[in-house]
Amino acid sequence: MVVKIRLARFGRTNSPFYNIVVAHARTARNNRPLEVIGTYDPIPKKDTYDNSGRLHKDIKLDMTRAKYWIGVGAQPTDTMWRLLSMVGILPPKYRPAASSTPTPSANASPQADQA
Amino acid sequence: MPPRIRGGSCQPQLLLNFLEPLPSSSLSPSAALAIPLHRPTASSSSSSSSSSQCSRAFSTTPAPQASRLRRKFKEWCENNAPLFREPNEGGRTNYVSRILKTSDFNDVTPDQPFPNNPHFRSEKVLSERAREKIWETVMEKGMPLKAVSAQYHVDMRRVAAVVRMKQIEKRWERENKPMALPYARAIVDMLPRANLTIHEKPFESINDIHVHSYTTQQLFVPASESREFTRADAAKAFGDRILPPDAKMRIPELVEMEKEIAGGMDPHTARAGFVKRAAQSEHDFAAKQKARLQAAEARRTRVDTGRFEFRFEKFNAEDVGPTGRSRSAVGWRYGMPLMDRKRGAVKIPTSVE
Repeated sequence: MVVKIRLARFGRTNSPFYNIVVAHARTARNNRPLEVIGTYDPIPKKDTYDNSGRLHKDIKLDMTRAKYWIGVGAQPTDTMWRLLSMVGILPPKYRPAASSTPTPSANASPQADQA
Repeated sequence: MPPRIRGGSCQPQLLLNFLEPLPSSSLSPSAALAIPLHRPTASSSSSSSSSSQCSRAFSTTPAPQASRLRRKFKEWCENNAPLFREPNEGGRTNYVSRILKTSDFNDVTPDQPFPNNPHFRSEKVLSERAREKIWETVMEKGMPLKAVSAQYHVDMRRVAAVVRMKQIEKRWERENKPMALPYARAIVDMLPRANLTIHEKPFESINDIHVHSYTTQQLFVPASESREFTRADAAKAFGDRILPPDAKMRIPELVEMEKEIAGGMDPHTARAGFVKRAAQSEHDFAAKQKARLQAAEARRTRVDTGRFEFRFEKFNAEDVGPTGRSRSAVGWRYGMPLMDRKRGAVKIPTSVE
């Protein structure tokens, strides 16, 4: 049976919170998984004394277990693939469209170097 | 739905005054109708038109007479009002207990705002000058908080709070932010104040320790005469995790200083040593905090996607324990009741993020 790395939604109405779980593909979302390897809080937060307005999202992840499960053939969902590619466990699946075509800022920087 | 009274046009008292010259028998409906209440006149056409909107024009109930007690209360207020219009000079309070006593036997102290409640005492607050003094000692002379606390007999936490608030106040002054100074002054003028001068009594006790309930029991512990039985041994006798008082107090360096003075050291030298040790302990604490933050940062990977910063924190998934229900486990747990909406549980957050 396929083993997946996926998110299990917890939290309350309008305040989602996800466990990053390794589970058999055909089990229900919130069934007891094979293993909980992390959490993902999708609600962006501010730093306490930071007034710049920058937002961050907190993720806890056991990198070693994630690598192990990828190594033995667990299949991450698209969301999990995105998260795992951020820490370099997987190659990025979907690249942003902007990076394929040269952006104005990318054109501007070599000119600045020449000048 | 209750009738609405609009503006001052429909005041029963005015109407009663208007009715007063009539004899009591005229309060019969026929006589009352004869009064030109609703007929618009040239002089007061606007008021009569608005009074006609009232669903109940007047009441025949006579106005309640002020009771004797109420009359006396009003009299008392009028006589004593000048005493309480302005706060007292020189940090003394001006509470009503100044002239009011619950009985001839019980004296009411001046720090008792409510004469009937002897348990409510208004404690001294730090005056503006005292707070400035604390800030200067910490920020300009660079004294450690523990030494400042010991010098002025102000709790260490209060010293830290004063410095923090003063820093904000000074920043706001630099930024020309408006401050509610008249309000602050008015409030402080009404309270007893401490200026932290040498002649004053100590502001508060600074080295209190928390009494653990385990240590209030009576214990019989056999100890050999040849062995010294210290406070640390006593703590161990009370329980494995009970700390000795020296470890629990906020400024243990003070005890060391007193021991040195008792041992014959010059008080000035002992005090210098105390300041040095206090500074060292604060330095150590800061270093520990910094190391903790650095360790937390080392566990974290930051990935900036432009819109949000994703912070990946490493953790060990095997901390969940054999059943997967360990309290140190990460994430929402399976097969455990959630207490977050349980009735009667305190849900006030313990930290502000």
